[in-house]
Amino acid sequence: MAGETTAAHDHVFECRGLGLELAHHGARRRIVDDITLDVRRGEFLTIVGASGTGKTSLLRLLGGLVPASHGTVSFLGKPVASPPEGVVVVFQDYSHALLQWRTVAANVRLGLEGVIGRAECDERVRQALAMVGLERCADDHPWQLSGGMQQRVQIARALALRPAVMLMDEPFGALDAMTKAALQDELLRVHAQTGTSFVFITHDIEEAVYLGDRVVVLGGPPGRIHKFLPIELPRPRDQIHTRQMPEFLRLRLDIHAAVLEAGRDQHDARA
Amino acid sequence: MNERWRFQIGRLTAGLPPARGLLPLLLALALWQAFGPRHSPYAPPPSAWWDSVRTMLQNGKLMPALASTLVTFALAMVIATIVGGALGLLIGRSRTARRALGPLLEFCRGLPPPVIVPVAVLLLGYAESLKLLVVAWVAIWPILLNTASAASLLDELMLDIARTFRLDRLTTLRKIILPAVVPDFLLGLRVAVPLGIIITLLVEMLTSLPGIGSLIVISQRQFRSADVYGLLVVVGLMGFVINSLFAMAEQLLLRRWPPRAQEMR
Amino acid sequence: MPALKFNLPGTLTILAVVGLWEFAVRSGAVAFDYLPPPSAVFVAWGGLLLSGEMLMQTVHTLRAVLIGWVLASAIGIGLGLLLGFSAWARRYLLASLELLRPLPAVAFLPLALLLFNFSLTTELVLIVYASIWPVLINTMGGVMSVGTQLYDVGRTLRLSRARTLIKVILPAAAPAIVVGCRLSLGLTLVMAIIAEMLANPHGLGYAVVSELQAMQPQRMFAYVFFIGLLAIALNGALIGASRWFLRDHAVSSHE
Repeated sequence: MAGETTAAHDHVFECRGLGLELAHHGARRRIVDDITLDVRRGEFLTIVGASGTGKTSLLRLLGGLVPASHGTVSFLGKPVASPPEGVVVVFQDYSHALLQWRTVAANVRLGLEGVIGRAECDERVRQALAMVGLERCADDHPWQLSGGMQQRVQIARALALRPAVMLMDEPFGALDAMTKAALQDELLRVHAQTGTSFVFITHDIEEAVYLGDRVVVLGGPPGRIHKFLPIELPRPRDQIHTRQMPEFLRLRLDIHAAVLEAGRDQHDARA
Repeated sequence: MNERWRFQIGRLTAGLPPARGLLPLLLALALWQAFGPRHSPYAPPPSAWWDSVRTMLQNGKLMPALASTLVTFALAMVIATIVGGALGLLIGRSRTARRALGPLLEFCRGLPPPVIVPVAVLLLGYAESLKLLVVAWVAIWPILLNTASAASLLDELMLDIARTFRLDRLTTLRKIILPAVVPDFLLGLRVAVPLGIIITLLVEMLTSLPGIGSLIVISQRQFRSADVYGLLVVVGLMGFVINSLFAMAEQLLLRRWPPRAQEMR
Repeated sequence: MPALKFNLPGTLTILAVVGLWEFAVRSGAVAFDYLPPPSAVFVAWGGLLLSGEMLMQTVHTLRAVLIGWVLASAIGIGLGLLLGFSAWARRYLLASLELLRPLPAVAFLPLALLLFNFSLTTELVLIVYASIWPVLINTMGGVMSVGTQLYDVGRTLRLSRARTLIKVILPAAAPAIVVGCRLSLGLTLVMAIIAEMLANPHGLGYAVVSELQAMQPQRMFAYVFFIGLLAIALNGALIGASRWFLRDHAVSSHE
């Protein structure tokens, strides 16, 4: 399916025919195939798909954590060969992504140490923690905090780098519904305040609609773009009101149908 | 039939490191052989080791010593296993016993094994039974303590199940308690086996009671360095064989238990 | 650390055992020729402490233990890091090491005696050779078990390779390394005593054997119990030290 494209200088990411193959028990398996996609500046792009559709691999390709086997992916016009400056990945497993032996503040500092001066470092850490509401926990250790707070620490760590794009791999998947809702709103606030672009993976369709400006539905395996859906819901979004709007419900239905369709196509292709 | 054999061998060797890793050792031995001074009192070449071992085999010194060491070790392990396992179970199941005996057991466990030897000599004299008792005493502790710990941590749920099914004490022991403590018991045994080998050799060295240990010491006192090196290799092989046999037995026994996370010795 | 509750049954048991021993020997009920009663052992202990002899032997043993442990830890950590980080090193070294590891260090003692005679060197060689293994194995295992996630974190935050290793990977492997060093210390004490019994006429090990040969059972027992208490104290101190060193890490249940 052809990707949607807009004016080039508006893009942070451009993917053309992007594909990834990995060796698995001797055989080579295509994880992600023919991804053509642009991420616009300031956009909140959500990606949904069933398991096995290569969502995480796509994110890792964008993040420069794994080299592409086919096609191209470029960030601000330059091809991505290694993690580019201005892009940070936030992982789902926060407890293993944080340094449990460092304080919260020291964790948030991790990407800045040695790169900028101490004074500016401390200031950025303070700001990042304030943005996620964790100023009072600066001297605690991650293992003393709840899951939701640990994930916020990871987000603050990414924010301290003032990235152009944040890539998030099902960051709220391990959290309970109420914490999830609170963090969703926090993320939207950060998005509004900083203008950072987001690429957000989730298998929760409602979350994808609630957060996103655009939703990409992946099918597969191998992961292929099945459909793009623009989300024209007003911002700022609200957990209660937005989720009850007819447009929200329609989008939810459409995406659900698209996911099922993607699954069926896959099944038919195999048959 | 061939398929099955290949599969089994593959399973046994799966955990082994790549054979290329033996290169440094083989290389060192080869260099030693090529450039080592033939009759050095300190570093005779491997061929001299082989000659001396063969000589000791032929003049009947090696086999009796090896037999003495192995028999003592095996008997001591049997005693330690039975006594350690039984006592461990009893102590583990009784809260008062654990509290009362705790400090005493900790002290006995912490007492460095070599120190036991002079005490045993003092009390028992240089008798053959000394070797057996010392090795058994040292080997008991890991087994006893591990079994006791497992027995004390038995899931109350399992005992409730036994009660619900109205199983009598013997059946409960056999079908519920024993299988639950076997993995930890084997862990204790895994520590006790190499420990047992070490202590057997140590006792022989300290008391000159017959065995490989005393053979090595005698060779050392006579400055027969090739004998010492040769016997070292024999000890190494002996240890390797014993540990491998134990590992295989452990694998066989634990077939039916859920796999444990990789243990680091 | 939970407050130590006074273990009444435990203390009573120990007192009972001591009491029984005293009674058994004094009343002639137990017929070991050379078993002294605890009171005599205690008196002998006092004498050894006052004369400074026990202190002298203890200092020797502890010095050997400390030097040996530091050396073994340094070599063990160095090799362990190399093997942990380098698959190439593992491929070409591991099998040789696996063959050497189960060899009882005790068997090397006569060899060390041949080469270095009755000396501190022999004692240290034995201690270091035996004590390297726990450190090496645990360090290697610790490094290899650091999840790939942390490497990804280092990369996405664009940390240099050196920074990633020093600030992320090594601290993550630290708990395992500390356990290895702790196991190694216990082994160090044991090997020191063995060496002192057989190959270096100094220190606590030597003291035990020489009192045995001098037919001084009270003094021998005094040394024996002192060694036991020393071992417990060392282990306790080490557990405390490792808890302090790893204080920032999540509370670990493995000791």
